[in-house]
Amino acid sequence: MEQKEQTKTTAVKGTDMARKVRGLVKNIYRSAHEAKAQGKKVAYMMVSSQYDEIIRAMDVVPIPTENYAGLCAAKREMDRFLLKAEADGYSQVLCSYARIGLGFDSLRKELGGIPEGAPDGGMPTPDMMLGSSAVCDPRYKWFQAAGRYLDVPTYSIDVVWPPVDADLKAVRDHYIQYQKEQFQGLISFMEQQTGKKLNKERLWETIRLSDEAWRLWYEIDRMRVAIPSPMPAQDHFSVMVAGYYYPGMQEAVDFYQSLYDEVKYKVENKIGVIPDEKYRILYGGGLPPWHTLWIFNYFESFGAVFAIERQYRAYDPVEVPSSVKDPVEFLAWRSFLRATQFYEKARANSGNPTVERLLGMIDRYAIDGVVFHACRSCRATTIGQVHYKNILGRYTDIPMMQLVSDMVDLRDYSEAQWKAQIGAFIETLAGRSAR
Amino acid sequence: MPFAGIDIGSTMTKAIIVDHEERILASVIGPTGAEHRHLALKVIDEALQKASLAMEGLDFIVATGYGRISVPFADKQITEITCHARGIRALLPTVRIIIDIGGQDSKGIKLDNEGKVANFVMNDKCAAGTGRFLEVIAETLGLKLDRLGKISLTAEAYVQISNTCTVFAEHEVTSRLAEGASIPEIVAGLHEAIAGRVINMVRHLGMEKDVVVTGGGAMNIGLVRAIENKVGFPVLIPPEPLLTGALGAALAGHDFVRRGVTPDHGRRRERVTFFQ
Amino acid sequence: MKPASIQLDELYVQRDKHAKELRDSGKKVIGYFCCFVPDEIITAFDMVPYRIQGSQNKAIDQADAYIEPMACPFVRSCFNKALKGEYDFLDGFVAPHSCDTVERMYNIWCQNKPAPFNHLINVPHMMGPSSEKFYRQELDYFVKSLENWTGHNLDTGKLRDAVRLYNERRAVLRALYDLRKSDPPLVLGTEITTVLVAGMGIPAAKHIELVKQFIDEVKGRPLPQTQKLPRIFIWGNELDDIAFIKLVEECGAWVVMDDLCTGTRFFWEDVPETADPLDGIATRYLYTHCPRSNVPQTKTRAGDLENRYSYINDFIKEWVVNGAIFYIVRYCDTCELEGPDLREYLNGMGLPVLMIEDDYSTSTIGQLRTRVQAFLEMIG
Repeated sequence: MEQKEQTKTTAVKGTDMARKVRGLVKNIYRSAHEAKAQGKKVAYMMVSSQYDEIIRAMDVVPIPTENYAGLCAAKREMDRFLLKAEADGYSQVLCSYARIGLGFDSLRKELGGIPEGAPDGGMPTPDMMLGSSAVCDPRYKWFQAAGRYLDVPTYSIDVVWPPVDADLKAVRDHYIQYQKEQFQGLISFMEQQTGKKLNKERLWETIRLSDEAWRLWYEIDRMRVAIPSPMPAQDHFSVMVAGYYYPGMQEAVDFYQSLYDEVKYKVENKIGVIPDEKYRILYGGGLPPWHTLWIFNYFESFGAVFAIERQYRAYDPVEVPSSVKDPVEFLAWRSFLRATQFYEKARANSGNPTVERLLGMIDRYAIDGVVFHACRSCRATTIGQVHYKNILGRYTDIPMMQLVSDMVDLRDYSEAQWKAQIGAFIETLAGRSAR
Repeated sequence: MPFAGIDIGSTMTKAIIVDHEERILASVIGPTGAEHRHLALKVIDEALQKASLAMEGLDFIVATGYGRISVPFADKQITEITCHARGIRALLPTVRIIIDIGGQDSKGIKLDNEGKVANFVMNDKCAAGTGRFLEVIAETLGLKLDRLGKISLTAEAYVQISNTCTVFAEHEVTSRLAEGASIPEIVAGLHEAIAGRVINMVRHLGMEKDVVVTGGGAMNIGLVRAIENKVGFPVLIPPEPLLTGALGAALAGHDFVRRGVTPDHGRRRERVTFFQ
Repeated sequence: MKPASIQLDELYVQRDKHAKELRDSGKKVIGYFCCFVPDEIITAFDMVPYRIQGSQNKAIDQADAYIEPMACPFVRSCFNKALKGEYDFLDGFVAPHSCDTVERMYNIWCQNKPAPFNHLINVPHMMGPSSEKFYRQELDYFVKSLENWTGHNLDTGKLRDAVRLYNERRAVLRALYDLRKSDPPLVLGTEITTVLVAGMGIPAAKHIELVKQFIDEVKGRPLPQTQKLPRIFIWGNELDDIAFIKLVEECGAWVVMDDLCTGTRFFWEDVPETADPLDGIATRYLYTHCPRSNVPQTKTRAGDLENRYSYINDFIKEWVVNGAIFYIVRYCDTCELEGPDLREYLNGMGLPVLMIEDDYSTSTIGQLRTRVQAFLEMIG
């Protein structure tokens, strides 16, 4: 018996550049396969670990395993990997990215090759796995567990951020020092694996490229304050591929330059995402529902556009003191400054840096309502949403809503429930604008 | 020398009496249900009557199943995992994997070459993958549970039911209906979903021939076909799929006597009280 | 004087009673999470360390308005108690960055139920010299915060005394665990958990005294029934209620050894007595065997597993274990990633494993009976 054809689940994009991201994604896996064929080293890695520029500078080709999980979900090709990991004993509440990754590795091992029909040709077997404690716990535990299927050298680093109430002057030095030593440990490991020394000039170059890309991206987002909105959140969740998966590469800079031009044109000519923009929504946080991105278009059908988002917008550009002359130390400084950039503001106001960012967005982007996405298997991006909502409520009375499903596991998603919730949310927005 | 096994499941109570050559003297199936608390005693009495025996004439009584904990007239209580294994060992000795789909839980049991439990898995206190899941959805569709199997066989395709949660799945079924899916396609989708969940759980044990399906799920031909589809080869179904646990319990009683094990405590002809 | 066993039972039931009495007598009580906040430092400041616990037998009825239900139910339960005012007696609240949930919880807790003193210690997930150094610096910063708050400087002599005191408690608890080595064991698993949890909210000196008396009482009582039963090792996270261990023992087994946050994990290893006591403390706590800490990979997969779990191998051999039960409080990503690895290792040694994932609630424990009993029937 065959399964009935499914309806389209991806979102309609607002910008031309967002439509070109698909090529960037395909290229991630294609270049990994090519590198592998040429005998170059490829590494499983976790993006946004603050070490991305080091990997590029070492000429190691990164395979971002989390992105692959999101890709599988967007293609609705995740079930067999999830089920495989669960059959191997991983809990159904464990991070679903990790479940897809482990399930993929398990199947590849069992089949002796890449599972047939795996999106974008699948992930090649890595030469090493590079984990990190940035953002969440599974990002180092996952690769440790993957040792079950892949007997390859594995190395993880800490990425440490102080708590918001820390006396930054008192802790800065030891945080930066530790971060630097963690990077140095990683570099020694990679030098051993590749047989090549890190070229510091090359590292400066990848840092420069990555900072330039992020600066352009930051400028693009500043233009998105325009009414009508020139670029919606679903586009952001595509274009972030350049910033997160191509840092240190000229491709990212070129991509954001073109996107900058496109968004600028739209702003100047008042070309909006939708013809009749009634409500501007802030995507308050949580990994996007990769399995059902068309939900953004569903909001748009009611005149609601997602003008800006907090997710995959971890930090604004920061100014590392010019006295820092070593690129590794620069990365450590940058990591610390990125993490703490809203701390002072938070301490002066709400006590919470995330809330400060959200308040800033609500104000600058003329936001009418906030939507959060709670992912049942992602603690790192989900825990705190209710808390942010509570604190935000002390400063603003705009409606806020938390939708619940998962980033990739469709079993936690109920379309009927979402539609009911979204309907009620839109009614609340309408009621407010009628006042 | 007669031995009795009583299997108190969440929906049905089953009793079997065997003699010392392990021939079945009597078997009874009755509902459990919250309003039928006293029925366990009634079921065993009925079996005794059929076998023309008195309770005192039984050499050993083993209780198993969800309600085994406080069966006042049982000499020992053993889990249904061990009992299913014992029952299947007697009925179908070639079996290595038992898939039991009951009213409120489903389980997989792996047997070693001697037919003993080598490993097992159970669903995680959630209705998904159990008879209860089907029952709830059948109600939504206005169908009788025992018709689902045949209805699904008329479908040429199935619709995907993704939700694990029974309540969410109900919503999902309603919206698929609204989108124009036919009832047979939906029922087939439900069987597909349950089979998928159960088989994935059982895969953890390593799939190995022969596979037998027991419990209420074995009586649903649509579900059995979906399971076979996933497993990749035909499965066995015992002649009385509901009775393997009770049979195993009776046989386990015989094993106890052979090993010289004495009953845990005295028998009391009292109602089963586990629901209270 | 009541027998120690009775006193420990009472402390187990009324976990905050003694801490509240001490507070009423003028002592400061510092509450903390997990196994990464050194009791020694708090004690050296003449304050009482209090390990924050949840209530497995009470519903989480208020916390959902502040924290998502997919967060660790143990942590949610603790916070639920705080919301109800049950932790109002704490003068300080200290959280280590042990895992994602606890780290997030720190901010939520401080913003809704702040204690007079609040502090987060950042604990490296990695291990190695640079991590040791960083954690040591985090402890220095913790000490500095306490100094600022109390207005007193840390007395190194008192810290040395505290190290010795807690090492003595560790030795006494290990002696108690020795009583589980015989067959049948002289102490039940439920008794062990009672004794350990009872000690989490009282000064170490008092706990030592009670445990010593309890050991004497155990040695003096008649041997338990000599029926041969499977000997079980329990692995998992927070198990601060006896309910589950009681269930396992009721099903016909001896629980003889553990690797739990509320068991060996928090007390087993001594703090080395170093010239600067904080060095020894940093080393000892950083290398706590918790799945949230990443043991650097060594060699191949097999070597790696051996390196990660050889201490468990020792437990299993010395306490003559027949089967392992994993009891994982749900939504613990690190335990859920660790479990299958440990199972592979234990199965490789020929040890059967039952892996259970559960909510932090005694009301659902009965449902686990079939699983536990079937496991015992299988290995028995």
